[in-house]
Amino acid sequence: MYEILNENDLCTYYELNQHPGSQQLQQKRKNKFAYLDKEEVVSQLIAFADDQQVHVTFSVPQMHCSSCLWLLEHLGSLQKGILTARVNFVQKEVFVVYDKNQTTLREVVETMSAIGYEPYLSMSAGKRRKPKNYSRITQISIAGFCFANIMMLSLPEYFSVSNYLQEKTGTAFRYIGLVLALPVFFYCSREFFANAYSSIKTKYLNIDTSIALAILLTFVRSLYNLFVLDGNTYFDSMSGIVFFMLVGRWAQDRTQQSLVFDRDYKSFFPIAVNVKRNESVEAALIGDLKEKDIIEVYDQEIIPADAVLAKGKAVIDYSFVTGESIPRQIEPGSLIYAGGKQLGERIELMVLKKSDQGYLTNLWNKEGRSNTDNRKLLHRISNYFTLIVFALTFASALFWLIKGEYNTMWNALTTTLIVACPCALLLASTFTNGNVMRILSRSGLYLKNADIITNMARIKHIVLDKTGTITLNKNFNVSYKGKPLTDYEKRLVASLSRHSTHPLSKAIYGHLKMKQLVAVDSFSNLPGKGIEGWIDDHHIKTGSREFVQPASANENPSNTSRVFIWIDGIVPGVFELENVYRPGLTTMLQSIRKKFNLSILSGDNNAEYDRLANMTGPGTDIFFNQSPEDKYNYVTQLQTSGTEVLMAGDGLNDAGALRKSDVGIAVMEGNNSFTPASDGIISAAAFTSLDEMLTFSRNAARVITISFVVSVLYNIIGLYFALQGLLAPVIAAILMPASTISIVLITFLMSEWYGRRLKRLKR
Amino acid sequence: MTFMSIIIITAIASLLIAGVFLAALIWSIRDGQYDDDFAPPNRILFDDPKKTNNK
Amino acid sequence: MELEKFSYDNKIPKLFAIATITWGVVGMLVGVLAAFQLAFPVLNFGLEFTTFGRVRPLHTNAVIFAFVGNAIFTAVYYSMPRLLKTPMWSNALSKIHFWGWQLIIVAAAVTLLSGFTTSKEYAELEWPIDIAITLVWVVFGVNMMGTILTRRERHLYVAIWFYLASWVTVALLHVVNSFELPLSALKSYSWYAGVQDALVQWWYGHNAVAFFLTTPFLGMMYYFLPKAANRPIYSYRLSIVHFWSLIFIYIWAGPHHLLYTALPEWAQSLGTTLSLMLLLPSWGGMLNGLFTLRGAWDKVREDPVLKFIVVAVICYGMATFEGPMLSLKNVNAISHYSDWTVAHVHIGALGWNGFLTFGMMYWLIPKMFNTNLYSRKLASTHFLIGTLGIVLYAVPMYWAAFRTYFMMTAFTPEGQLQYQFIDVVQSIVPFYALRAIGGSIYLIGVFLLVYNLVKTAKQGKFVESEEASAAPLTKGYKAPAKAHWHEKIERKPVMLLVLSFIVVGIGGLVEMVPTFLIKENVPTIASVKPYTPLELHGRDIYIREGCNNCHTQMIRPFRYEVARYGEYSKAGESVYDHPHLWGSKRTGPDLARIGGKYPDSWHFNHMLEPTSMAPGSVMPPYPWLFEKTINIGATNSKIHAMRKLGVPYENGYEAEAVNDLKKQAEKITASLEKEKIKIPSDKEIVALIAYLQRLGTDIKAEKTSK
Repeated sequence: MYEILNENDLCTYYELNQHPGSQQLQQKRKNKFAYLDKEEVVSQLIAFADDQQVHVTFSVPQMHCSSCLWLLEHLGSLQKGILTARVNFVQKEVFVVYDKNQTTLREVVETMSAIGYEPYLSMSAGKRRKPKNYSRITQISIAGFCFANIMMLSLPEYFSVSNYLQEKTGTAFRYIGLVLALPVFFYCSREFFANAYSSIKTKYLNIDTSIALAILLTFVRSLYNLFVLDGNTYFDSMSGIVFFMLVGRWAQDRTQQSLVFDRDYKSFFPIAVNVKRNESVEAALIGDLKEKDIIEVYDQEIIPADAVLAKGKAVIDYSFVTGESIPRQIEPGSLIYAGGKQLGERIELMVLKKSDQGYLTNLWNKEGRSNTDNRKLLHRISNYFTLIVFALTFASALFWLIKGEYNTMWNALTTTLIVACPCALLLASTFTNGNVMRILSRSGLYLKNADIITNMARIKHIVLDKTGTITLNKNFNVSYKGKPLTDYEKRLVASLSRHSTHPLSKAIYGHLKMKQLVAVDSFSNLPGKGIEGWIDDHHIKTGSREFVQPASANENPSNTSRVFIWIDGIVPGVFELENVYRPGLTTMLQSIRKKFNLSILSGDNNAEYDRLANMTGPGTDIFFNQSPEDKYNYVTQLQTSGTEVLMAGDGLNDAGALRKSDVGIAVMEGNNSFTPASDGIISAAAFTSLDEMLTFSRNAARVITISFVVSVLYNIIGLYFALQGLLAPVIAAILMPASTISIVLITFLMSEWYGRRLKRLKR
Repeated sequence: MTFMSIIIITAIASLLIAGVFLAALIWSIRDGQYDDDFAPPNRILFDDPKKTNNK
Repeated sequence: MELEKFSYDNKIPKLFAIATITWGVVGMLVGVLAAFQLAFPVLNFGLEFTTFGRVRPLHTNAVIFAFVGNAIFTAVYYSMPRLLKTPMWSNALSKIHFWGWQLIIVAAAVTLLSGFTTSKEYAELEWPIDIAITLVWVVFGVNMMGTILTRRERHLYVAIWFYLASWVTVALLHVVNSFELPLSALKSYSWYAGVQDALVQWWYGHNAVAFFLTTPFLGMMYYFLPKAANRPIYSYRLSIVHFWSLIFIYIWAGPHHLLYTALPEWAQSLGTTLSLMLLLPSWGGMLNGLFTLRGAWDKVREDPVLKFIVVAVICYGMATFEGPMLSLKNVNAISHYSDWTVAHVHIGALGWNGFLTFGMMYWLIPKMFNTNLYSRKLASTHFLIGTLGIVLYAVPMYWAAFRTYFMMTAFTPEGQLQYQFIDVVQSIVPFYALRAIGGSIYLIGVFLLVYNLVKTAKQGKFVESEEASAAPLTKGYKAPAKAHWHEKIERKPVMLLVLSFIVVGIGGLVEMVPTFLIKENVPTIASVKPYTPLELHGRDIYIREGCNNCHTQMIRPFRYEVARYGEYSKAGESVYDHPHLWGSKRTGPDLARIGGKYPDSWHFNHMLEPTSMAPGSVMPPYPWLFEKTINIGATNSKIHAMRKLGVPYENGYEAEAVNDLKKQAEKITASLEKEKIKIPSDKEIVALIAYLQRLGTDIKAEKTSK
């Protein structure tokens, strides 16, 4: 990489950071991106093209520092024809414009890969890009501006003792207030009026009805006061209501910028794969694959369709698809499922089923849970509250009417609605949710939206996947049982193991950490069994029990995590490979057990049963060899028995269960790892805090209740004056923001207090 | 005291100018100026490569 | 399609840099002179061109418009092209801007020393120069806007916003505050009067501080600090919030300069509230700057550039804390008219403006000459000296302010004022001397800077321009394949430009309304009458000599003030004062009710030799008032102009005006003769005496008539 940069006089970037991008030391194979030459692929991926320029936006999740920024924006110096490259760091995207007469999409992608920033290409990526909607934030800006200025121009009236404010100035300020109130009323409040109108049509009261009414009445009353009575106006309260309600909505609807919660299976698979047609090889889109096509799959690549192994040594990592922690060696002629990752050499496969009909992709289309509208409860409360307020208001208005005090009646009518606007109630929950989402985010759990918090608070039963969720996916703990090996023996085993591509052998080799190896005279690799070799006149075998000691009792065939050693006729011992569990897992599981019911469902074999049983204690369901269907059904069963379920998983095989559960959390290992569709994504590093996060979400309900109560208190105090027709505009204008700001503060402080134990994740 | 009318003038003038700033604010939000708050402060530090002199 | 090649020009920034430093030295020298003049009045040299009253405005204008102004332009012309990846839009406009501005400065120096002044603080320059400022400012704005519109970098970095906001607001402020009716080539009367004028003046004054001394320098900080430290700003999001919240609040804080004056209560409270609110964004900015250096404090220890910038930012924080504090009524009661204000100003000016400029220069000049700074050690010494200078400036001023307050408010057990004004003056003269020394030390530091940078330039080779290349902005950047979007986006910046001009225009148009308002003005105090022609002349002399730089004409409703000076000032009293002369500093006593307090001879002798009437006074003598004759020919145009501005002189009064003038003058010379003083009745001193004897007598007339 240094050479490429040096050639183009770009050395200075090293001064900024140490490790830009991902270390891209291995050469990508030359035609990995050959499919980008295809027109139909290019047209799907680019944003715009004319006869000179092409605009394309790449997702580059690897970027993480200013050197990345620099490198990517200087792509033009590395690749002729690239005119502009502009990074949006927060979205982890780079927008590239290139001259189609000087370079191609393929070349651009290859250049990016060469410097360590291979873009994440997916056919569905283009569709994801929705044009951003700025109308709400425009409304908030205008409402805030007008509110602040109206308030400020009303202050003279409030500050001056008796009628010191001279007629002309006071009137002028009120008219200016009117001018400022107009955009707030006609533009910023649109959604409230629209929703209120539709609610009236459907005869179902929603919260916007009361808000719209409050806004309308305040505005009309102020107009009346201004033009007819030449008195005080309530424009500041009106614009305050609009502003704070909009801010509340915004706080509630904020979502994560760079994470995707709703991937479909297509984003998991590559875009194209090499197909052998006649004697030549060409790139084909996954969607175009037909049965009996012969495809090529290379190391680290995903099998794009259910296929049969035709040629080559296949070692497939299914951890993502089934949850098996140890990659499988596949015999030629055996079926390989789509979604598995090949580890090792190039293999040839014959397609059996197209990818969208594959076994796993069907899981994606399974039914999710029925959508419970959490806001219903809150709205019901607000509606009751609203009805009560209306009743009180009209009752008091009637009272004054009967008494003949018209002025007081009008005062009571308008000001009651200003004060009793259920805004604060709504704000209590929206701001709390906003805070909770924020705190969870910084601790490593990213929720899709705020409604999930309520679901989290109701969870009674937690289901965890094993591989990749509670275990560290790529690691094994290797331990040795038996007669201790001498250094020489270790070296023999290591030297032999090195020649196997099997992950178990690799793990053993890594574990032994032998520096000096001995040359192996000859060896043979027997898939499914083990390795046999001669070193220095010693005969060594490593592998399954039958392989090593054919006469011995049959080892449980599913227990494939033991590798026996045989040296010159003797079996000194066995290497046992076990999962590495996440640090802190035991504590977490214990604490989960105290508050929730726990189950562990694994697609892997049951080698880990004892360990897991020890960690979780009695009463925990631990099932192995679970197919994705099994997991789905298990969750369904729990739900039918009336319990709310949270599922945490990381792989495709969890996808169905994740969607069915009341809360589905996907575990994300790195920044750019694929996660199945979920309600929330938790960073692997934060996984062991999951139970604390659930506790936190329960506390969130408490926060809402308390701030609810506070706002009710305000309402009562305000109503006390308002119902008597005594509420002066100044009090209304102060109460409004005061109550809002106090709610904001209370929710903020309380959320922070409850979330104080959640550790911040270092990004 | 009608001479205080001057304060109406200064108020209007200030509001007008504040309105201009509001328009500028909304423009810049809609133009996506604030979508990325990491890149701009780092970009200013990148020096253009000097063709003529060493460094 | 190729990358576009262009270059960044360094010639104009270099010119501005040289101008900055040169005028900085000049302005500070004048400041040092003014400071010493207060301690040692002999330094007024007995010449009209060198009296404190004329020297002080020269100092303020020089340091604000010449030093700070050129520093701003240096920063803008250097950073803007690099931030927007395009050269300044028009090299011709850049040159016009540069030479135009320097010409304005020279004109300012000449006119101010010659006594051509409006008396309005930081807006003393007379109307032709005001017009020139407007023209050059427009040139500057067009150049900036053109650069923004032709930029190759989509994002407008926060510094650009600060520059833009400064431009727009200063334009409006300047235009609104400079509404004056010209009388002659170099004399005009303010469109506004009395309270109105005071309000507009300090709406301008404070916002000038905000948008000339602060916001452009914040832009400077946001550019040069990261560049010098080679680290990105701590929180860009904070800088955006900082900018917008500052902009929206700053405009309203003006009234805090007028607390306890005749401005209505509610306006004062408003000003206080908003000034306090300003604290948050200001400190946000300061913290943003300081946190940028977190973890790099060892760099700061070694690099004088960073040292200057850090102290500058800290002074900004101090000044923006002190400011809101000073806007609190109880604090303001002590600080107003005192040296506390002076201290506050100079912490901001010497610390924030000065030091940030020095930091920028120490970074920029070596870069522009492609070499290293000649002597880091010398720069560090400058830093130490400068800091010492600031401390030695501010501390004596604080001390003097408190001393003044305690002495002025002291009553004897019998209920009399314990100290005469002159006693107070005497006791703080030593502090004036100390302050002058502090300022000199600061200036010495600047001399070190000059030496250092000259040597740096000599050892390097000036890089006239730097080559660069970038792709032009893509159209249809945001929305996928929606071709019409780009038109809307590109139209918006133009819309902004047009809107700005419209606003400035509207601001101007709207300002016409006051004329109608003024016409319907009914004085609240029936006994307040317009000035006589002789008094008008006297008033103009008062303005010419810059008397309002040391004397105020606004008594606040405090017991000690009323006891010392008389009935507190009512708003209606200054209703014909075009411009108002409320003043802002009491180096000498308040003159609002000086009328009738002393006999004419007292004034005569006092102006000829102040110490004869007030031993220990630091006021300089004004001997030329006894030689120069009143410009009687201008009487009619003065009356005419005043009437146009709404002062109710009868139509046709011009016919009698000169006669009235002569009659009143003779009355005065007659009373002087009684005291054995002989002076021709057409000498300027007579007019001045007439004016002084009129001050504050109107309500007395009402009282006696009642």
